[in-house]
This record gives sequence, structure tokens and C-alpha cells, in this order.
Amino acid sequence: MSSRVIHKHSRVDFSKPLSFTFDGKIYQGFAGDTLASALLANGVKTIARSFKYGRPRGIVGAWAEEPNALVQVDVGARTTPDLKATQVELYDGLVAARTSGWPSLAFDLKSLGGRFSRFMPAGFYYKTFKWPNKFWPIYENIIRRAAGYGKSPIEPDTETYDHKHHHVDVLVVGGGANGLLSALLAARSGLKVLLVDDQSELGGYLLSMPNVTIGNLYARDWVAKIITELSNSPNVTLLERTTAFALHDMNMIQAVELVQDHLPHHERKPEQRRERMHRIRAKQVILATGAFERPLVFGNNDLPGIMTVSALTTYFNRYGVSCGKNAIILTSNDLAYQGVADLAEGGMNITLIDTRANINPLWAARFAKLGVTIYPGYGIDQALGSNAVTGAKLVKLDSIKMSASINCDIIASSGGLSPTVHLFCHDGGRPQWKDNVLAFVVSATGRANAGIYCVGAVTGVFGLQESLSATCETITEMLAALNKKVESDDLSFNTDEINCSPAHAIFRIPTTAKAFVDFQNDVAVTDVELAVRENYRSIEHIKRYTALGFGTDQGKLSNVNGFAIAAEMLGKTIPEVGTTTYRPAYTPVSFGALAGAHVGDTFEPRRYTAIQAAHNSRNASYETVGQWMRPWYFPKPVEDIHAAVNRECLAARNNVGILDASTLGKIDIRGKDVREFLNRIYTNAWNQLAPGKCRYGLMLNEAGMVMDDGVTACISDTHFLMTTTTGGAAGVMSWLEKWHQTEWPELEVYMTSVTDHWTTAALVGPKSREVLAKLCSDIDLSKDAFKFMDWRDGTVAGVPARVFRISFSGELAYEINVDASYGHYVWEELLKAGAEFGITPYGTETMHVLRAEKGFIIVGQETDGSVTPFDLDMAWAVSMKKPYSFIGKRSLARSDTARTDRKQLVGLLTDDPNFVLKEGAQLINSDNITPPVPMLGHVTSSYYSAFLGRSIAMGFVIDGIKRRSDEGNNIVYAWADGKAVKVKIASSVFFDAEGARHDV
Amino acid sequence: MSNLTFNPVMQSPLHHFNLKTKQQHVDGSKGVWANEMPLLGYISLRGNAQNALFTKAAKKALGFALPILPCSLISTSWGCIYLLSPDEWLLVCDRELRTELQQKLEAALVGIHSQVIDNSGGFTTVFVQGKNASDVLHHCTVYDLNALTIGKVVGTTFGKTSVFLHQHNNGYKVIFRRSFADYIWRYLERSALPYDFGIANLGSS
Repeated sequence: MSSRVIHKHSRVDFSKPLSFTFDGKIYQGFAGDTLASALLANGVKTIARSFKYGRPRGIVGAWAEEPNALVQVDVGARTTPDLKATQVELYDGLVAARTSGWPSLAFDLKSLGGRFSRFMPAGFYYKTFKWPNKFWPIYENIIRRAAGYGKSPIEPDTETYDHKHHHVDVLVVGGGANGLLSALLAARSGLKVLLVDDQSELGGYLLSMPNVTIGNLYARDWVAKIITELSNSPNVTLLERTTAFALHDMNMIQAVELVQDHLPHHERKPEQRRERMHRIRAKQVILATGAFERPLVFGNNDLPGIMTVSALTTYFNRYGVSCGKNAIILTSNDLAYQGVADLAEGGMNITLIDTRANINPLWAARFAKLGVTIYPGYGIDQALGSNAVTGAKLVKLDSIKMSASINCDIIASSGGLSPTVHLFCHDGGRPQWKDNVLAFVVSATGRANAGIYCVGAVTGVFGLQESLSATCETITEMLAALNKKVESDDLSFNTDEINCSPAHAIFRIPTTAKAFVDFQNDVAVTDVELAVRENYRSIEHIKRYTALGFGTDQGKLSNVNGFAIAAEMLGKTIPEVGTTTYRPAYTPVSFGALAGAHVGDTFEPRRYTAIQAAHNSRNASYETVGQWMRPWYFPKPVEDIHAAVNRECLAARNNVGILDASTLGKIDIRGKDVREFLNRIYTNAWNQLAPGKCRYGLMLNEAGMVMDDGVTACISDTHFLMTTTTGGAAGVMSWLEKWHQTEWPELEVYMTSVTDHWTTAALVGPKSREVLAKLCSDIDLSKDAFKFMDWRDGTVAGVPARVFRISFSGELAYEINVDASYGHYVWEELLKAGAEFGITPYGTETMHVLRAEKGFIIVGQETDGSVTPFDLDMAWAVSMKKPYSFIGKRSLARSDTARTDRKQLVGLLTDDPNFVLKEGAQLINSDNITPPVPMLGHVTSSYYSAFLGRSIAMGFVIDGIKRRSDEGNNIVYAWADGKAVKVKIASSVFFDAEGARHDV
Repeated sequence: MSNLTFNPVMQSPLHHFNLKTKQQHVDGSKGVWANEMPLLGYISLRGNAQNALFTKAAKKALGFALPILPCSLISTSWGCIYLLSPDEWLLVCDRELRTELQQKLEAALVGIHSQVIDNSGGFTTVFVQGKNASDVLHHCTVYDLNALTIGKVVGTTFGKTSVFLHQHNNGYKVIFRRSFADYIWRYLERSALPYDFGIANLGSS
């Protein structure tokens, strides 16, 4: 490969060639390459087409700042859109493709529009597609198709991801010279240190400037020495390929590690993760995040073949890639010079254009030796070329006089460094403009109180020797605050750098050609100008109007230039304009990493009862209640839900059914004041309930609204067992503790959840007594000895059991509670015993139908937090005479809750017995739906009752209780699916109002 | 009716994973080993630690004083006592000892405001050990395991649910509710995958 430069400092292994595909064409690269370096080595200049104008674009940067080279990597389920080619490590067999340019990179349709770009300024979309209003959906459709890059995978992800939590004394973000030094000093003091770095190898920018020496060691050897010491320290963890993308309050940092994406497919291990999210809680955070070089803005500065000097240098030094033979370097500062010298020494023909009239004489002498042509006091008016750069037209800056054009095949520019202040700013920190370095910088120790220290280029100290010394001071200060001493005597920070002369405060070179500030969003200088002309004053508004700093690069290259240009146009200083807000994530994070292990069967806790295996073996279909997986119904072959539920209902009404009721919350409450406690918690009275008896209770919140219900049993005068709804259990437990601990600590009660301890099987139906009798010899099951709403201790199938004679179906029923360890066993014994009676397991759907036939409410279905017991027609469950107020009592006396024409729960019957109303249907007074239609209420529960041979429903109707018995005024209409269906208001107890069936 | 005979069978919360059939002798081949310690006895105890009558009676019944420091546990001749909250303890013992222990405690606490409950059906314990045990748990919980010193038990997160966690024999014990067992075991298995996961012989706990 002609543009490869083999030199000893290159980090690419030329003995390991790799082949890869880009846009369908096969290329060669080497181990250690990025996709970007390999493409450049293969002479691929155009990698993308621009967002708005379809202009050809090439690689500009070498790291996370790259705005153009967004690529689609891999295919099928593994495909990932919008990776920056500069961050994709090359592996053998890598397949990548462009994400823009249609129909091809060589010819993009959008580029036709781009020729009329002066008609597409900032705000173009807002202004153009405003009229007519109704056409917006069409415009939006077209614009959305034209916008965006890449394609999301459509297959399910075959890779796995996870999260890992870390707790460390010191987190160092960034593995460059200053990050490594910080980690070393912290590690030597014995602190637990974690260092994260986003690159494939540690060293940061030292990997790009290998000819620099630190303490008589080449940079590379200096890095290697420190890494060796860190690797040998048991208190240090080094994480490469790990990007810290967010810093939150209390120094919680999130970082994502690319675990396997750099490996060829055959080397990736299925048991390993693709990406891992690290959640790091650090006592001290050291931000050694460095800086990105920003380009200078000049005409046609977006042509392929134009990049930053640091990128050009990096491709040459680190990757052994010469991006051109004849380079024009445009700079406003000395920081670019070391790279220029390296390039010239490497054989590149260099024309150096410095915007400053005076060149640092030490550098001038060195460049003279290297044959570098220098144009002091010049700039580039515009780059020349159509699809790639072929030259540049120079301009003398003090006179704005055009000069001759120079041919070249690469242009690199440097406008100075922009510190990577993102993480520092995520939790509210703000960067400060520092004029002497022309950068927004952060304070080294300004946030030491919060445990945040900053070192290196992010603080605006750009010289290597100077920054290493400053880092040593900062870490010494940090360690001193922790009563630790720094051990740095063996370290020398002397480098062979040439001292910098002051940089030139210049961000753009005035030109009549199109000059881009933000490449990813096609924001030109003229767009910022227009925004200011249209009176956008705040940089936040200018950003949103122009899209400056949007996109996957978040303006890492463009922001500071944009701020400076806006300042110039607003007639303000740069610090007066300030910055936009830096928010997480620093770089894009995949959904897979964010989800981690919260996918598939560990997406959400699934709570199971001890009988789960039995339900599985009987083909249960499940529904989620809270987090519980409850059997919904048990379809036999060819049965649908309706057929199964009809069969289950009839079995329970005519013979015997069995329901797993283990999920209901169960709270054991003890103490001498337990009755009084229940009096206050429930609406009804608990003083008289004798041991051996149960009672139904309603629980209200302070507003007087029903929040839970259930049956509570008196075990002894000082011991009760409360049941709650399945979904409400945890809330009720907290509710009881809260009231006890905060309001009534004087009451002697303790409460403990026993929900998981008990398995509860509800044996339901006329044959239930006979079934139970086969398994239970020590409880007298006769009607008079074991009455409805009694409970008894005994054994069932040889297991100690507590049996409740309670019923949520209106049938004779027993709820058998045993230690859950025996739950599965007892369930199977019950089914065996019931076989001769056709015992039928049923699920929640049948449970719902059975209870609705009897008009029993379900909290959460008939209630929604706005329903009082009176609204439910359940005044019988409220005792207003208790000496101590119960929770919610006072609210029941409010004028709004006390009025008699609230929405009230009633039964609803359709004319057509086979028509099942839609749950949620609005109830209205007539079938005339000309607006406005007063809403009377809605249907809360609706089923087909096989036992009654007709549909039944419950719902709320304004003044429903009165209307129920008011012939002539008891008709409403249920509105759903575009139809109003006539409904008669009826009692919600659809049969056996006298309770004859359960009292047998 | 009195001639009914039954053979009751108990199942632990992780019964359906058939861990017994998968267990192996623990060696260095896996990064992490775990198994359920099935069917232990669990007694929930609540009472006022400031009430000397209560603590004395409990000590008499249990043979050991209740731990009263926050997040503390003690090992006893019959098992373990965990302090879960300032007025709440969990007693864990062999299942066979549970009835006797509970009866002793109830007898000793007659007339003293307290609560003693058999919760044996409601909990289970998993032990996790091996060179990557804490790595695996750091995928599951936000708690800093370096701060989990011997003698300390914490209630903390595990995935999206919660567990009690303490050090045990160079590894950890994880105690949790029956209904969450399936989720917790699957989450543990998923987290352990990169480290190579083995089902440990129960004797190795």
C-alpha cells in the first residue's frame, strides 16, 4: 500500500494483515488499525455525504470528535449504525458500509439541492414547510426519510450485555500522560484506583507524538513503564475500550466497555458480553479527559482530504498512514508544530501557513532544516477541488489580499485545543474561558470539595512538561486532603518540547465561499450569521435554530468555533456568549448496554407460587398481576379463552373448582392493641370478632378512597392474619408500618409479611366439602361446626394447614393454607381427591367472572383511587360509630364525597344476552352522540356468564344507585367501537342475593 | 376417616432448577460456584431491643443474645441470627430445629410484646463462592462488597429486587423470598456466565 509508512513508533502490526469490506469493496488493513486509518491508507477519501446538502465528506478527526465518518458496521442482528470509523477497531472480516449518500457515495441526489444551498439557510424547514398546515404530515414523511444516518437492526439482538458496579477510592477518566500519572500517584499511596480509557491502548496523545521524550524516555517507553507498574498493583484496575459517558451527582460515573466488538467473529465468545456498562461510585474522580484540536474555518473546508493537524499526525505516527504527499498545514498556534516536524521528517512535502506574522524562531529554524515552506501571516481563503481537495487559495490576513493558489492533496488545520470538559459539566459544573489559551477550561481543584479533580489538557495546560508537573501538584493536593503523601521522587517530567509562543485568536478566515462550522449538521458560518441577524441572542437558541452541535458528535469539533463566530457577530466576548449545556451521554450508548441483564427472562422479576410446576403441567396460560405470574385460564386442546372460562365457571358452580390464591398478600399482626390497630386501618369494626372467625375489611386512604380490601382472621385476641390484594401487598405492608411508626407508636403491634410462607389453594364449589373431607380428618367440616367465615387449624393431606371457609365466588368454598414447601404436594393431593368430582383448576379470568356474578368488587378494577365505599354501595362495610377515627373517615364527610349523586357502582345488563360490553366503555344517557355528550360513567367489569347464560357487567353511573330502582330512568347507553348499546341499570348481585349457595 | 395416610413432600423454592442433579465437586475450574441451601428453617422475630425483658427472654430461649448493632449477624450453635431492622430479626436454622426453637421462643416471650412467626416456606438461601464470586455479585447488586465485612448482613438490591447478603466461608450467602427465587437464580446464572458457573456440591457450603 503506497500510503503506508513503516516506522518504528507505529502502533500498527504490519505483520498481521487483515481484510475488510467497505461499501461492498474489499480492502486490506493491519492489526492495530481503525477503520478510518485503514480506509485512509487505501486512499478512500469520501466516506459520507452531508446531511443537508449532500456534499462529499471525508475523515476529519481520529477519535470521538469525528463528525463525518459515520458508518454501519456488521450485518444482520449485529449491525450497528452510526459508529465513527475513527473508533471502530479493524478486525479480519469486518464489514462496514456508508450511512449516507443515495444512490451512491459518488453521486448523491441531495447534492442537487445542495447547489441551491443559498435557498436552504438555517430555519429552512421551519419556514418552508409551514404552509399549508395539513400538508405537514407529508412534508414530515419526506424530511424524515432524507434525514438520519444508518439503519437499526431489525432482528433480535443475539449478543448479551451486563452492568457492573464499582466502588473505588479514585476513578481516573482518561489514559493519556496525565491520567496515567494520576493513577500511578494515587495507586502508590495505596488507594483503590480504577482507570478508564476509551482507546484500544493506553497512552492518549502520546501515541500520536512518539518522538517526544519524558525524563529521557521516549513517550512510548514512559507509557509502558507506568502501565507495567499499574498492572502490577493489586489495588489498580485498568479498563481499556471503556468510555466514561456520564458523570452524575455524588460522583457516580457511567462508562461503557466494548468487550468483544474489536474481535473477528470467530474469536468472540458466546459467554462473553458484547458491551458492559460500568456504574462507578468514586470517592474522588480525576478527569484527565484531554482536549480535541479544533479546525480553523475557511472556504470549502469540508472537502474530503481536509482534517485536523492532530488527526493527520496521528494517522502518520500511530497508524503508519500518510494521508497525502503534499500537505498544506494551516495553524494559528505552536501546538501543531511537533506533528508538522514529524510529518516533514517522514517525507511529506509541507507548506505551513501560519496566521501569525511571526513564527517562533526555534521552530522556524527547525522547519528550515526540514525544507518546510512557511507562509507567516497567511490564511486559506478556500480549498480547491470538487470531490477531494486539490489545492488551496491563500490570503494574506492583514491585507485580505488574495495570493496564489497552491496545489496539495491534503490540508490540515489547527485552531487550537478545545478541552473535553463534558464530564465536568454533566452535573452542573461550568467551564471558564481562558484567554491566554483560547479555550473553555475547567479548574484543577475548584471542585475538590466534591471530590472532582482535573488534570492535563482539560485544565488548559497544553504543554506536556508543564501539565505533568501540574498534575503532580494536583494529585499531591488530593492525597494531602486524604492524609496521604505523594511518592514522585523517582519521576522526571522533563521533556524536549520547544516552548510555545502565544496563539492567535482566530477561528475563521473571512471568505466568500461556503465555510462550515459544523460538518455533521451542515451548519455554515452564514447560518450562524443569519441566526444572529434574525435576533437569536442566546447561544442555546442559536444552537437550536442552526443545529450547531447537534448529532452524534455533539459538536466536539464545532462548538467553540460556533461560540466564537456567534460572539463576533453579536459583538460580545466569547465568555459573554458562553457555552451550550453539556449533557450525558458524551458519546452514543447502545440500548443493549443500557438494558444490560434486564432482558428476556430477567427483564423484570416474575414471581411464582410454589404450585407453578403444577400449573405448567396443566397448560396454564398466564397473566401478570403485580409481578406475579398467575394462571389466567387452563385451556384444553382446541379451547379458546372463552370456551375454557365457560367450562371452568360451570365446574366451580356445579361441582368443584380449584384456584391458586397464594399470591394474595398475607400479613401477620400481633400485639395487645391489634384490634384497635385494625379499627383504625379498616373502615369496619374489629372489637367483637371472635377467635376462629374472619371478616372482610375495606381500607381507605386519607382522602377516603378505597385502596385495598381483604379478609382478616382473628387467630387470638392479640393475633390477626390480614390478607391484601395481590398487587397491593407491599404497599399495604408499608402503609401499616408507616401509620404505626409515625402516628400510633403507642399501639403495641408488630406486623410481618408472611405472603411467601403460605401456599393457598381455594377449593370452590358444591363438592368442595366432600373433596376436603377425603384429605382432612381432624377438622369437623359440618355446616354448623365450621361455618361460613370461620377458620380452623388442622391437617390436610398430612400437612399442618389453616383452613378458611371464605368465598370469593358465592359458592361453598375452603381456602387451604399450608407452608409453601408443601404447596405443590398439597395441590396435587387436592386434585387427586377431587378427580371423582371433576375438580377443575381455574385461573384469574374465571375467578373474575365468578366474583362478578356475585357483584364482588376488585380493587383496582372497580376502584381507581376516586371511589368511596358508598360509591361502591358498600355502606355495610363502614362503621361510622367507632370511637377512634379510621383512616379516611373525615374525608367521607367532605361535601363532595358526601353528596348522593356521585358516580356509583351498579350492575349493567344488555338487551342481547350474548352481547358483552367493552370494559372501559363510556356510559351516556342516549344513543345520540352529537357533541357535547355528558359522560355518566364507564363500564368497569364485563363478562359472559356461562352459568347465567348471559352477559353481565358492572360500571359506574352518576346517581346509579337511585336510578337502579327507578323504572323509566334506568336505561343508559354504553359507547364503544363507534356504537351505542342500550344497557339496563340493575343490581350488581346477579344471582343468589340471599347467599344460599355458600351457606350450606 | 382416621385411617388416612399421606407422604408429604417438601419442595424448595429453586426445586424446579434440579440443582441437585447438576451439582459438582468444587475445584478451580470455574470462576464461581453456587447452590441453594434448600429447606432451612426461618423464624421472623420482632421485639423491642430496648426492652430488657424481651432481650433477656430471647437470649434465654435461643442460648445467644440477639445482635443489636445495625446490619449485624451472629452465628450460633443452631444457626444464625440476622438483625434486619432495629426491631426485626431473622433466625435461620435447620428445618428440624425450627419447631423447637420457635416453641422455646414463644414460651419465653409470653406476656412480652413481640412477634414470633414461622416463615420457613417463605425464604431460601443461596451460597455463592469461587474466585469471581464478588465480581458476579457486583453485576447483581449496587452494594460495595468490600464494605461487607464478616459479621455484617445487609438488605440490598439484586437486579430489580432485593435480598439479604453476607459473607460466608470466603464467599457469600444470599437470602431471599420464595416468590422471587426464580428471577434471582436466573439473574445470578446470567451474571455468572462470563466467569464460568458451576453448581457446587452442597457439602462445600
